[in-house]
Amino acid sequence: MYKKITETPVEKVLFIGGGETDFGLQGESDAAIYQVLPILNGLGYTITVVDDNPYSLALESPAATGILKTLTVANIKKIIQDQQIDAVYPLFGGIRAIRLWDQVVAEWRLEDGQIPQSLGLAAADLHQINNGTQLFQRLDEAGLGVTASAVIQTQDEANELLRELELPLVVRAQKPIQGTTRQIVDRLDDFDRVVQQVMDQSLTNEVLIAKAINGLKEISVLVVRDRDGNCLQVGAAEDMDPIGIHTADSLSVAPVLTISDPVMQKMRAQAFLIANMIGLKGVMHVQFAYDEKTGKIYVIKVSPYLDQLANRMAVMTGYPVMLVAAQLAMGIRLTNVYLPNAFHQKTAIMEPVMDHIVVKLPVFPFGDLDASNITVNRQLNSVQKSVGSALGFGRTFVEAMEKAIRSAHFNNRSFSPKYMADVSDDELIQQLIHPQDNRVLLLIEALRRGYEVDELAELTNIDEFYFYQLKRLIEIERSVDQSNKDAQSLRMAKKSGFSDGLIARFWDTDFQEVRQLARSHDVIPTYKALEPSAGEFPEHERQFFATFEEENESEPVDNQSVLIIGPGAFRMGDGVSAGYMTSITLSELHRLDYQTIIMNNNAADSTLLPHLSDKQYLEPLETSDVMSVVDLEKPHAILVPGNRKKLIAALTDLNQNVIVFPKEKHHPARPEAGQSEFCLNFFYDGQTKHPLVILQQRPGESRLLKQKINSDFIDDLDLSSPGLYQVIWRADIDTWVDQVSLPNLTVDTWLRPMPYGHIAYLTKALGMPLGRMVVRAWVDKLNEADRKFLAKMAANHEGASLAMVTSDTDYALHLQPDKSLDMTRFEMGAKLVPFESEQADGEK
Amino acid sequence: MERHLILEDGTVFSGQGFGAPATTFGEIIFDTATSGYQETITNPIYDGQMIVFAMPVVGADGIHAEAYESTAPTVRGVIVHDLAEVSTNRQRRMNLDRFLQHHNIPGLYEVDTRKLIRHLRETGPQKATIVDVVDDHAVDQLVATVLTNKQVQNTATPKAYANPGHGFHIIVIDFGLKNGILRVLGDYDANVTVLPYTTTVDEVLTLDPDGIILSTGPGNPEDLPDSVLTLIRVLQTKVPLLGIGLGHELLALTNGAALQALPAEYHGMNHPIQEIISQQIFYARQGRGYVIDMDSLDNKKLFVTHRDLVDNSAQGIRLRDYPAFSVQFFPDGAPGPLEANGIFADFFETVADYVQKNN
Repeated sequence: MYKKITETPVEKVLFIGGGETDFGLQGESDAAIYQVLPILNGLGYTITVVDDNPYSLALESPAATGILKTLTVANIKKIIQDQQIDAVYPLFGGIRAIRLWDQVVAEWRLEDGQIPQSLGLAAADLHQINNGTQLFQRLDEAGLGVTASAVIQTQDEANELLRELELPLVVRAQKPIQGTTRQIVDRLDDFDRVVQQVMDQSLTNEVLIAKAINGLKEISVLVVRDRDGNCLQVGAAEDMDPIGIHTADSLSVAPVLTISDPVMQKMRAQAFLIANMIGLKGVMHVQFAYDEKTGKIYVIKVSPYLDQLANRMAVMTGYPVMLVAAQLAMGIRLTNVYLPNAFHQKTAIMEPVMDHIVVKLPVFPFGDLDASNITVNRQLNSVQKSVGSALGFGRTFVEAMEKAIRSAHFNNRSFSPKYMADVSDDELIQQLIHPQDNRVLLLIEALRRGYEVDELAELTNIDEFYFYQLKRLIEIERSVDQSNKDAQSLRMAKKSGFSDGLIARFWDTDFQEVRQLARSHDVIPTYKALEPSAGEFPEHERQFFATFEEENESEPVDNQSVLIIGPGAFRMGDGVSAGYMTSITLSELHRLDYQTIIMNNNAADSTLLPHLSDKQYLEPLETSDVMSVVDLEKPHAILVPGNRKKLIAALTDLNQNVIVFPKEKHHPARPEAGQSEFCLNFFYDGQTKHPLVILQQRPGESRLLKQKINSDFIDDLDLSSPGLYQVIWRADIDTWVDQVSLPNLTVDTWLRPMPYGHIAYLTKALGMPLGRMVVRAWVDKLNEADRKFLAKMAANHEGASLAMVTSDTDYALHLQPDKSLDMTRFEMGAKLVPFESEQADGEK
Repeated sequence: MERHLILEDGTVFSGQGFGAPATTFGEIIFDTATSGYQETITNPIYDGQMIVFAMPVVGADGIHAEAYESTAPTVRGVIVHDLAEVSTNRQRRMNLDRFLQHHNIPGLYEVDTRKLIRHLRETGPQKATIVDVVDDHAVDQLVATVLTNKQVQNTATPKAYANPGHGFHIIVIDFGLKNGILRVLGDYDANVTVLPYTTTVDEVLTLDPDGIILSTGPGNPEDLPDSVLTLIRVLQTKVPLLGIGLGHELLALTNGAALQALPAEYHGMNHPIQEIISQQIFYARQGRGYVIDMDSLDNKKLFVTHRDLVDNSAQGIRLRDYPAFSVQFFPDGAPGPLEANGIFADFFETVADYVQKNN
């Protein structure tokens, strides 16, 4: 197995970014690239990053050359030639970047010169990953469990296969135009329609049909491998829901709890075998199905590139997955991986072990859509419906789950034992068999109504373990409900992850009283370090979560600290931009020599990257969670997103120094068809208002005007705090314009803080560090140079030739809404596109 | 019911009792593996010890017929943070609570196990007791208790037995054998005879073995009678020999090396082990309180084949003049990674060579 591979050393490396965010793509690519740039730079590599995502931090990193270009074959080729790139690393850009690079390789001609090396996976292996069938044939030949399958091109072939394999079947597009989606067909009536639909999603009209294995346990294993075949398992997670529900839509738990050691060891061995087979240098996620009755293990998906599990595992275990994977791709041996001083020196080669439980819960968009009277199909199946996820950390499953539920921001009224009382018994059974987004609450309700654990386990294919855990939760609820504010039930409830607010609800009081009671009975959280050795070694511990035990390990940061409340899970309309702005804030405060403390529970974006803050609390973001951290850390100031009105009020009541991140709950709605919305953008430094540029917004797209503006127009506006603002008005204009006449300020316009999405857009389109300047303004640290810059900035730009275009998300596939969605308000992502040469640059 | 763990240094940890309501004494150690609690609890190497699991939820997979490493556990206590309830069925015959009750072993849950482990990593293993009440009497009892050093006697078979197969005849000398070794030998269809460690050279050679395995086992190898070293000294020159765990420590002692007690024992499966000849690393279950003192190794007689890259300890040695080698870690897994299975392949290759030469 051991083979020394000699390679020509690489110097100039091109990272292909992940592009716009969408279902299943929440910015993890950019977070990964952004994180590894300083280290690779320090190791002597010259890195270029190409992406077209306005929320990319990597494009703004000083450790690389960021190139903002549409992700096309022609652009990649041109960058390779211009920058004299000698190696390309597509694996952090996920499946999209892999497809693009595979295409570049296929279209590379002799006259294009020497083709750069493909890092992480050789071009041929990468091609196989892109074409799943070939890979699975290889796995089959190697003796691994795969489901019977075939690729078909016509309905007739499909029907023939149907007779051979029988329902249920998994139907998936080969070389899909966009994303990868699997649909499971278990009714004959649906078969023809789904096959046709999937055929249309394929570039080559090819459809992969495989025997479905619904009802089996789903387990994810994450491994890394170096050039010499040294493999390490980073971790594994199990889904509570069986195969048949998209893994992103299932509650998932790490470490694995209900699978025996020999089975886990077999999956590990198979993951290593696959890594060796494809010659991976980097990180790989393998999804397995396990049939408890027969003991058979199936490989269901192989992802030898960065996906959400990699980021999540890094946060859940404390193992620096991305720093390791990127160095392995460069050809560095696992034993020689360089890690910053913040890590124990053996961290890279020790398999991380968890002495805590992490529960991941999906976050669904249904509530937001409901509020806009949009009905969608809520039934969970093999097509992803969740838009984000939140993590709960604890020392028991119940505690981690409860904290995950609170992090995912279910209204805490959902916990009231009466909440689900309206569901009829028939509906309950229906939903047990055909799960929806309220999965956990429904299972709890079924237990409340006296269904037996074994019966439910049989009906849902969920392991009994989880039902016992939910029963425990019901008992705790009941005993809190029946007790009268006594210390014992308070302690038990807090130990189980309940917030003060939720306990207050049971006791018909307010959270302040619960908080006082908890303090008087010494029921205060003990923070446990999250580190990869499970206590075996002292580490440089900077990540913590709350629990209620004996020993607290978190020492307060001694200097003036700033606590930043993170934006939580990715949601439609604001997710990525909030993560972008939070990360810019952390980075800038750090530069201003503040000690920064972040609280967040979303592992998909960059906010929890270890190098961005001095300390990280992996916690829900309700008032009691925040106040417990405040009690310990006594921060100099607390930065809170503006949409957290209740939290801001509560913190202000408790005499905290609160700085509000101006943030609306949602992206504003788009202008009506035939209309344009104009935003006059300006910067208020606390004394003067500096105009910047006018932005025109039409459905799905924004552009900047070349029109110069002077400050007279906005001088009379009354503002209380510094920051970036917009004066908004609408006009019946249905074309792009260069000039617009200014409206009557007092009658026809309204004012709002600039949405983060626009901050990101203007920063990149104008090449001005607006995000960082606004952070300096918030903490009153604008300097002389800044003021000079502000005074001249309107004159210093020529408008811009980049438009921001909302992603063309396939809502019909994922959500089946009953009416079309406002693409601005329910944006899943966006990209920057040059608008003069839009056609030439083109899309695929 | 609330019960307590008292350590020899006076530290007290409280939790809820499960398993048997017994008061026990033992040496307390911690384990960082996240899978395989049943295999670990039933592994005879933990005879007389109390195990603290770093894995916060223990018991979610019940008790399986396939996960026994010996017929009965002889640990003195099991300390966890959270104990899972499970249904019992075909796959899961029993739950951990009932299992420990049945074997009269006390357990404690709702313990701040992370605090306990952080404490033990500083102090190293120490005497401990699980009691109902913390009082002077309990502390005096703990101080007065002398823990047994007869763990091998307690766990090894007193009588020879066969585990027949159709392949090579392998003799396993039992110092507290874990079943995983027999399972792998079964995979090779070996014809196995297990002999008590009190056996003699004559008895062994009369059975005409093709290979010999010195098994894993509990305790301090230096507590074993000298006759064991004498036995190995002769056998290593006659037949291919593989030592595992305690068997590895005995092979080292036989060949003049000294052992050192580790300041904090290591029980887990996350340390990288490097095969020196290939530089390749892999992971394997380890459970060790001793390491070879590298200065005491006689390089003319033996050399190091594997080392643990975290603490640089010798994890494998090989004799220069005879087909005898040994590993500190457990290549059979159970629980633990299967990557080190190749050790058995090496052993059987050596055995095959030997058989061929002697025919």
